[in-house]
Amino acid sequence: MRNPIGWAALTAFSLGFFLFIYAPLLVIIGYSFNSNPVNMMIWEHFTLDWYRGLLGLAERVSDNNNRAAYIESTDQMFKALRISLTVAGCTTAISTVIGTATAIALSRYKFAAKGFYNGFLMLPMMMPDIVLGIGLLIFFVTIGMQLSLLTIIIGHCTFLTSYVFIIVQARIAGLDPALEEASADLGASEWLTLRKVLLPQLAPGILGGALLAFVISMDDLVITYFVAGTDSTTLPVFIFGMVRRGVKPEINAIATMMIVASVIIAALGLWLRSRKTD
Amino acid sequence: MALLEIRKARREFITPEGGRLAALDGVDLDVAANEFVTLLGPSGCGKTTLLRSISGFETLDAGTIRLDGADLSALPPFRRPVNTVFQSYALFGHMTVARNVGYALEVRGEDRQARSRAVGEALEKVGLTGMGARKPSQLSGGQRQRVALARAIIGQPRILLLDEPLSALDRNLRQQMQIELKTLQHTLGIAFVFVTHDQEEALTMSDRIVVMRAGQIEQIGTPRTIYRQPKNRFVAEFIGETNLFSLTIDQIDAGLAHARTAEGLQLRLPAGGAKVGDKALAVLRPSDFTLSDQGIAATVTKAVYLGSDLYLFAQPAVGGPEIRVTARDSAQAPQVGAVVHLAYDPAAAHVLEAA
Repeated sequence: MRNPIGWAALTAFSLGFFLFIYAPLLVIIGYSFNSNPVNMMIWEHFTLDWYRGLLGLAERVSDNNNRAAYIESTDQMFKALRISLTVAGCTTAISTVIGTATAIALSRYKFAAKGFYNGFLMLPMMMPDIVLGIGLLIFFVTIGMQLSLLTIIIGHCTFLTSYVFIIVQARIAGLDPALEEASADLGASEWLTLRKVLLPQLAPGILGGALLAFVISMDDLVITYFVAGTDSTTLPVFIFGMVRRGVKPEINAIATMMIVASVIIAALGLWLRSRKTD
Repeated sequence: MALLEIRKARREFITPEGGRLAALDGVDLDVAANEFVTLLGPSGCGKTTLLRSISGFETLDAGTIRLDGADLSALPPFRRPVNTVFQSYALFGHMTVARNVGYALEVRGEDRQARSRAVGEALEKVGLTGMGARKPSQLSGGQRQRVALARAIIGQPRILLLDEPLSALDRNLRQQMQIELKTLQHTLGIAFVFVTHDQEEALTMSDRIVVMRAGQIEQIGTPRTIYRQPKNRFVAEFIGETNLFSLTIDQIDAGLAHARTAEGLQLRLPAGGAKVGDKALAVLRPSDFTLSDQGIAATVTKAVYLGSDLYLFAQPAVGGPEIRVTARDSAQAPQVGAVVHLAYDPAAAHVLEAA
């Protein structure tokens, strides 16, 4: 028996909850189409100018109107995006391989101090970003390493490996150990078992870990801020630089495009997962 | 020479408390080619450890396992000519049924044509023709069981090891699979080593049953021997329903021993080599008793309806434990509270070697 009042309260609560979570995003998306260049809180009319300007498809509105230039050149933004994608791509590849290998090793082989390694791998995840960032910076300076793309990639790998490790480990924990035994029983060497049974079975976990690593790496500001060289500004650092001089309409457009990209990546991940798990 | 020879197999585990527990404690066992051997015992008796020692997933601390005279101990599981049907089936969820079944040939590097022909034959043997394109998740429990079976026999192992493969199936399907497994074993002509804790399953399928307890073998014999002539109290009680009588022999007369329990219940047994005054432990199965006009007087305390049979608990008039009796169900079947007389053939009574 449903209690109508309770049911209505639950519905209201659920709606309120989702509104609370998504309202900020909706506001940004809305403002990104507002043509008012001065005060984006006041709706003028619908425009795609901010997007055109960002993508270099039109002369920038702000230049036209002879107002203050709001945004560094489109070229700079695309360069930052390219750097972010490079960093995220490399980081994802490296941390996925190391994280997966570590998870398999820790769950399938016996060796000393296993618990110690397990705990140790969690630590970078729980460490405050700012501490990790400062630590990395001091470390790179101490060993005399030039801050560059490479230092960002190393910095990201230090904590993203833990994320991949934890996700893949959870997947292994739910796996029937008899699967690998069955493979060995049917004549497959350890290598063949890894390739034909273990990795395909872990694929959803590995993929999930990789996507998470990619998204976090794309998004990271704090650690990147500390270890980025002058010539390696990532997209978050670039946006942060813009925002420091005031939130401009173009920012809303960038944010909206990033939201769309994230949704596409998440949807892709979910789709791949649903295909892989049987 | 037996196909499989296990000698003095010993395997210890360290318990969480730090003690040592012998899962296998000096096990000797021979398995002949084309024989269906069942390892039977309660959980923790070492039967699964023994099976896993044959497949190579456990390493013996001492003792040897020889197959066709060759020592297996140096071989890793993937080089041993034995295959296993796992309790959980362990089907590869990311592969089709056909690829699951053909896995042994795939890793051996056989070409696609030979593989698909062999897969077709294996699926036919287990009655799953035409199911090759499905995924394991699309099959019922019984069908998965058959896929696991087909996958394990496709490589023509010298021995097929089965680790409680029927435990997840419902009763009807289990009984059907018991018969099919026995038939399959017969047609394939390979030895089966089957692990179970279900005595009924063991009795139905086996050529020989190996009863295990605490890492040791209690008795090896045909199902009939194990049931009719259990060696000791454990085997007698583990296999089937049992009435056990603790007796002292009063008198011996023409090959029959007259004996009585502490309560004064009198029984006649085959005398064997017993002497007057000896203690004896006798086994009489519920089906050994018949309801008669004379015999042991007892009162029915419980009657369990089993369909064609009735399962009665009868309290002897002189006292002592209740006697369990199976009787044919009919309109004249005794009710609870009725006084019955239990007759038996003294030759059916089995006297245990070790009391």
